[in-house]
Amino acid sequence: MAFTQYTTLDFEEIKVNLREFLRSNSNFTDFDFEGSNLSVLIDLLAYNTYTTSYNANMIANEAFIDSATLRENVVALARNIGYVPQSRRAATANVSFSVDLGAGTSKSTVTLKAGLVALGDFANTNFTFAVPEDITSPVKDGIAFFTIDIKQGTFLTKEFTVDISQTNQRFILPNPFIDTSTLRVNVKDTASSSTIKNYKLLDNIVGIKTTSEVHLIQEVQDEKYEILFGDGVFGKKLGNRNVVTATYIVCDGANGNGVANFQFAGRLLDNDGGLVVTGISDISTNIPSRNGSEIESISTVKNLAPRLYSSQYRAVTANDYEALIPTIYSNADSVTAYGGEESTPPQFGVVKIAIKPKNGQFVSDFDKRDLLAKLKQYAVAGIKPEFVDLKFLFIELDSTVYFNTNAVASVSDLKTKVITSLTTFAKSDDLNKFGGRFKYSKAQKIIDDTDTAITSNITKVLIRRNLIADTANFAQYELCFGNKFHNRRNGFNIKSSGFTVDGIRGTLFFADAYVSETRGRLFVFRLGLDQEPEVVITNAGTVEYDVGEILIDTIRILSTVKTDNVIEIQAIPESNDIIGLRDLFIQLSVANSSVTTVQDVISTGADTSGSSFVSTSSFLNGKYIRQ
Amino acid sequence: MPAIRQSRSFKDISLSFRRHPVTNDVVGITNEDAVKRSVRNLVETINTERPFNSLIGSAVRSSLFEPADRDILTRLEIEIETSIKNFEPRVRLTKVLAQHPFDTNEITVQVEYDIIGQESQPQELTFILQPTRV
Repeated sequence: MAFTQYTTLDFEEIKVNLREFLRSNSNFTDFDFEGSNLSVLIDLLAYNTYTTSYNANMIANEAFIDSATLRENVVALARNIGYVPQSRRAATANVSFSVDLGAGTSKSTVTLKAGLVALGDFANTNFTFAVPEDITSPVKDGIAFFTIDIKQGTFLTKEFTVDISQTNQRFILPNPFIDTSTLRVNVKDTASSSTIKNYKLLDNIVGIKTTSEVHLIQEVQDEKYEILFGDGVFGKKLGNRNVVTATYIVCDGANGNGVANFQFAGRLLDNDGGLVVTGISDISTNIPSRNGSEIESISTVKNLAPRLYSSQYRAVTANDYEALIPTIYSNADSVTAYGGEESTPPQFGVVKIAIKPKNGQFVSDFDKRDLLAKLKQYAVAGIKPEFVDLKFLFIELDSTVYFNTNAVASVSDLKTKVITSLTTFAKSDDLNKFGGRFKYSKAQKIIDDTDTAITSNITKVLIRRNLIADTANFAQYELCFGNKFHNRRNGFNIKSSGFTVDGIRGTLFFADAYVSETRGRLFVFRLGLDQEPEVVITNAGTVEYDVGEILIDTIRILSTVKTDNVIEIQAIPESNDIIGLRDLFIQLSVANSSVTTVQDVISTGADTSGSSFVSTSSFLNGKYIRQ
Repeated sequence: MPAIRQSRSFKDISLSFRRHPVTNDVVGITNEDAVKRSVRNLVETINTERPFNSLIGSAVRSSLFEPADRDILTRLEIEIETSIKNFEPRVRLTKVLAQHPFDTNEITVQVEYDIIGQESQPQELTFILQPTRV
């Protein structure tokens, strides 16, 4: 008999294997009895095999980027393919202040020294804000004006002295939570030398000379960073007793966002080195602190590192843009890019990019311009990147939850639990990404698994988009849902919230009427006194059921029932699994979803025959308008 | 139909790992000796000592530091009895007696049993339990 291959991680299975081996290969018999000497030896062998198998399994897991779980290993594997995970990013605010030195002053400049600049508070928490390097402003008519970006966090300095007798000297910054974009590395020949050379950060070695004063950084253990210098071939090599000074800001990431009130706490020097303490105005905030974010997560590193490697820092395909943008725009939560030839009508030579920022729903125009400038160095000539705003496709659920009263203390608590489960699901990675997919069966399982008291659920799905009405002009509208609509021949598959139109009395609504299997006619109606629809515009547009698109003909909408000129338009999807097509970003709208609890009289034993069981329709029907 | 003859014997490895002078194999222990060793192993194993099965063994060792009165001797007897009944199906216990010889730091344990399925004399196992620190 061949000796068993030990691939199992279960101690008992290993033990059984060893016993089976002995049974057919040994003249000893007592291995079946727990007290026997052989049994003691088998236990020992099995335990040894178990620990070895476990270790081998863990080592094998940690050796590949797909299966590694420890951040240190994921980062090290990503490093092998030239990927540096993004550090925590400090929230940045744009502020202005002036320094009045008096009309007759002889000073020509004022310098704000690197380090602490301002104190701010948000949500009962105090934050410090700093600048990573000195900022000098000219004095004009006795006044120096500063309009600067300040970064949330504590400004720190670390000094290393190079000792070539140490063959493996490493320059590891001792703090975690560093924003590496604020890292400045300066080198002096000796401690007493007055000449300071700034070593620039480099992300790859293309174009480096033997004398280039550059440094690289890499993440090491515990989210700390190591500075690497040239070896005399690629970049200038450090000499003995050189003094390396690293300054950086340690920040609170996303917690520092939203600070709008600042008090000056910086240090100002005039051009003669004199300290300036008077004439400093209050700080006015141009842009409150934003774009602070946490260190790049392990899952993002796993996702982006191979993509960035395949893109080779060149934006050629749409996928390259998806890989590159998160590395140059730290606030990107999710990115989608597609060729203009895929849009309707096709636009050749254009790459359309949509970004879901971590904080908020839209990328500011300033950030877009900044990104376009940064993308130029990667983009192929002749291809024009273009940003499109995010389009949200909302999913609403109407769930009826059956429960066993014997297993639940409070029905309202049960309902709250279901809503909490759905809220958690709404925040999951399955949904919150471009190309995300709402998986109906998963949602149902999440509801069922919320509590042991829940016996079943009947959940209906709606998709919704918000139409922003142009109340000042006549306009045509196109709403793409990216998912096929269900087409009931009696119409009213499409429902909307209310609005008013120039020249027509009352609150109006959109709905559809059947034309063919793939096409419908959009009409506008109002509700009469009997709550029945009265059609006021027969042809208001078309509905394409097979592609999930609504085209509204020219109309002048004056006002909407919902705030912000929003008309909510809902449709019944043909499939309960909803996908986010192209630039559609799907979001499960828990606030607009409804959860109804119904007692399951069969499970409780109150009515085992089921004659008083309350059944729930699995189909959406009823009202003419969106409630 | 011919009767099936079953020959029941027990053979275990000896933890002395001595070499057999003739066969050069590791020496084994058989039948009564094997069962005796097994019973003794069970009594002297501390619970949780064997991996992934904390039930094997008895609390005899930890009891040795308790005041030596009749209560502790009774507890020891129960511990030994339970352990053997649970994990040694080859024996039928007839007697377990724990005694504390006057003015000593030890407990003598006498275990008497029959080996099931073997035509052998009733077995008696006597051993002395001593705390490792006296």
